[in-house]
Amino acid sequence: MLHYVTINIDGADIKAPKGSSVLEVAIEYGICIPHLCHVPGLSDIGACRLCIVENVTNGRAVITTSCTLKVQEGMAIRSNTDRIKRLRHNIAELLVAEAPNSRAIQDIAVRCGVKEVRYPFRNSNCVLCGRCVRACAELWHANALGFVGRGKERHVERPLNMREEFCKGCDYCIQLCPMTITPCDGPMKPGEEYLCGKCESQLMITEEVPDSCAWCRLGEGFNCGRYAGLKAVR
Amino acid sequence: MPHLNTKEDLEIMGKQLLLDREKINKTLIVCGGTGCTASRSRDVIDALNKALVIQEMDSEVHLRVTGCHGFCEQGPIAVIEPGNIFYCHITPEDASDIVTKTLKNGEIVERLLYTDPVSGEKVRTESEIPFYQAQDRQLLFQNREVNPQSIEDYIAIGGFSALAKAFGTLAPEEIIREIKVSGLRGRGGGGFPTWRKWTECREVPGDEKYVICNADEGDPGAYMDRCVLEGNPFLVLEGMMIGAYAIGASKGYVYVRNEYPLAVKHARNAVQQARRFGLLGENILGSSFSFDVDVARGGGAFVCGESTALMASLEGKVGEPRPKDVHTVVDGLWHKPTTLNNVETWANIPSIILNGANWFASKGTKGSKGTKILALTGRIKNTGLVEVAMGTTIRHIVFDIGGGATNGKAIKAVQTGGPSGGCLPVDKFDLPVDFDVLYEAGSMVGSGGMVVMDESSCMVDVAKYFLTFLQDESCGMCVPCRLGIDRMLEIVTDITEGRGKLEQLDLLEELADTVTQTSLCGLGKTAANPVLSTLRYFRKEYEAHITSSKCSAGVCKALIEYSIDPEKCTGCGICLRACIHGAISGEKKEVHIIDAGLCQRCGICKSECKFEAIQVS
Repeated sequence: MLHYVTINIDGADIKAPKGSSVLEVAIEYGICIPHLCHVPGLSDIGACRLCIVENVTNGRAVITTSCTLKVQEGMAIRSNTDRIKRLRHNIAELLVAEAPNSRAIQDIAVRCGVKEVRYPFRNSNCVLCGRCVRACAELWHANALGFVGRGKERHVERPLNMREEFCKGCDYCIQLCPMTITPCDGPMKPGEEYLCGKCESQLMITEEVPDSCAWCRLGEGFNCGRYAGLKAVR
Repeated sequence: MPHLNTKEDLEIMGKQLLLDREKINKTLIVCGGTGCTASRSRDVIDALNKALVIQEMDSEVHLRVTGCHGFCEQGPIAVIEPGNIFYCHITPEDASDIVTKTLKNGEIVERLLYTDPVSGEKVRTESEIPFYQAQDRQLLFQNREVNPQSIEDYIAIGGFSALAKAFGTLAPEEIIREIKVSGLRGRGGGGFPTWRKWTECREVPGDEKYVICNADEGDPGAYMDRCVLEGNPFLVLEGMMIGAYAIGASKGYVYVRNEYPLAVKHARNAVQQARRFGLLGENILGSSFSFDVDVARGGGAFVCGESTALMASLEGKVGEPRPKDVHTVVDGLWHKPTTLNNVETWANIPSIILNGANWFASKGTKGSKGTKILALTGRIKNTGLVEVAMGTTIRHIVFDIGGGATNGKAIKAVQTGGPSGGCLPVDKFDLPVDFDVLYEAGSMVGSGGMVVMDESSCMVDVAKYFLTFLQDESCGMCVPCRLGIDRMLEIVTDITEGRGKLEQLDLLEELADTVTQTSLCGLGKTAANPVLSTLRYFRKEYEAHITSSKCSAGVCKALIEYSIDPEKCTGCGICLRACIHGAISGEKKEVHIIDAGLCQRCGICKSECKFEAIQVS
């Protein structure tokens, strides 16, 4: 039997199954918290930091990622304060400056209100969200992918850069990768990257009904927890 | 091999060893710490041993090779007891003089005495040296009393008696209460109250708990933990044993950087000797308490000094931090309750138990008690390890202990707390070394690194240096730390190379704030401090770089130009021959000229010129 606890997100009291994370509960209840590295069914590492929320204890608001925060009785969460919005905007800006050629990242940037990027674009191939690594290790126990190096050198690599036979060819890494979805207008040339902004009408919806899931098209691109959950049901 | 079965055994042995010690008339204490080893103290020790044998004094003089004495600037150091005679800068050739003159005939070798840089007078004894006089050496003093490789030495000076006292008279809760009254706070950087960690860990249900000693010290310029662990590993071990007894842990780990080979060796040796004496293992000193310690070597990552990354590394995984929504005192090493403390924190425990909490609490300020070891480095006369009571002002440390600036230059700032700390300008030098006060001022005590900078340091360049360090050492897992530091470095590099814009300063501040608030672990959360503190106190310097393309310290190569002062130049031609880029031209005995186009701004000409004719603008 499932045990439930009651938590409060943005003023709404929510009955949440024990052991679930705040992010899962929020998505379930239609509260939109942007996220990238979270994939339903995989472990959470809190790498992208987009899903940050304020966890209010004893009047002090501590910022933490909602994907790694397990629900507890009486918890008070604020997911859409000005402070959170500002920080989320800055993180999304960092991400989109790194990978403007991904529709998933562009969508997240739009969702977080990024209208201008203050850094030079870089056009990397990977944002190290670790979706592929965790899917490979946890769903198939294949461990054909892993992180190598640290800091700037960190990248996803096969074991010892040579052992291809670990791969079971499930293609799941490609399906989950946010970099595989190119912007609607096609890939941008190096040096000519821009914020496409085509989905800014979607932003209107999310701004009008803040912190509630508007089923925006933005989530489709990067398999937002809501859409991914729906896919699993189908 | 004496196996200590009861407390009485330990006491008897201690007395016996002390008696043996008193039989020896003369002791020659030579520093074998890392600093002195680098200045060839091993050769000095060999030469001294040889000289003692030649003079047939090896039976009456006890040569003790110890850990660091702190005054690394003057190494190799030797102290002769009785008499407290202090010799510095010893070379192997001085060995025979020390043995024949001082040890045999009781004469002083004048040339080996320390010269006070302020008064210019020779100082005979160690206790008269201003560097030592101005300190309060509770932990470091013990270094010269023990040979770090010999547990007998440690027992002779009363070692492990705090442990015996804890077993005999104090219940675990009472030990934690003592620590609480003492007001000890974590020495590793955060300054978290030690007793709270212990209480939480004790109260969590679980039959298996761990204690860890964090000796993965990686701050540039800091080496306090290294010297304590190298110089007195038994003290740390005793602290861990008392902590484990208080918490109810049965296993401990010392996590040492592999870059500290001597610390690894001494820690391992200490554990082996303690096991042989029955001080580690089953039913220690006849009590029901069993405890063992293993020494683990770090893999060379700065981030492994962070508690969760350290535990991951100990478990054999990649040293990456994990979110701390559940604290490590509840869910730590192998998901068991774990207490992790810094070397210095553990080293403070025995004296608190032995001398009482009130003794410890009598030192320091309201919020920060006891003494703190600081690694004083940079552009000052006396560099080395200093130990002062908390609450001592920075001014006292830099000027009275450190002896002020070298070359008569004006001191500009002090960087405290390593890459996680910040830079404080001279007008903040009256601030005391106190966890809360320094945090308020935008820096932190941190692990205790203190780098003094004079006017030849460019603060933008300092920020750039720390950002480069942190970018290399960030594990790269979370976005704000990996990309945020990278972008901050990009902006600061732009500023140092003359491409900066004023609005970038606001962006830099905003970015620093984002990194501070949203990063996953402590490394990221404090990574922006060097930028934030230099921006706070030295914003003018940043602005000068941007608006007038000037680096007043003459450090940022893209913004400076070398020229020759025609009035001072004698035409000697030294700079002409020194310049490897061929940028200097001129006839003999005539004023030379630097070609700005060819000049690579390496600064060789400036350091070679004897007439100070090379100007930087």
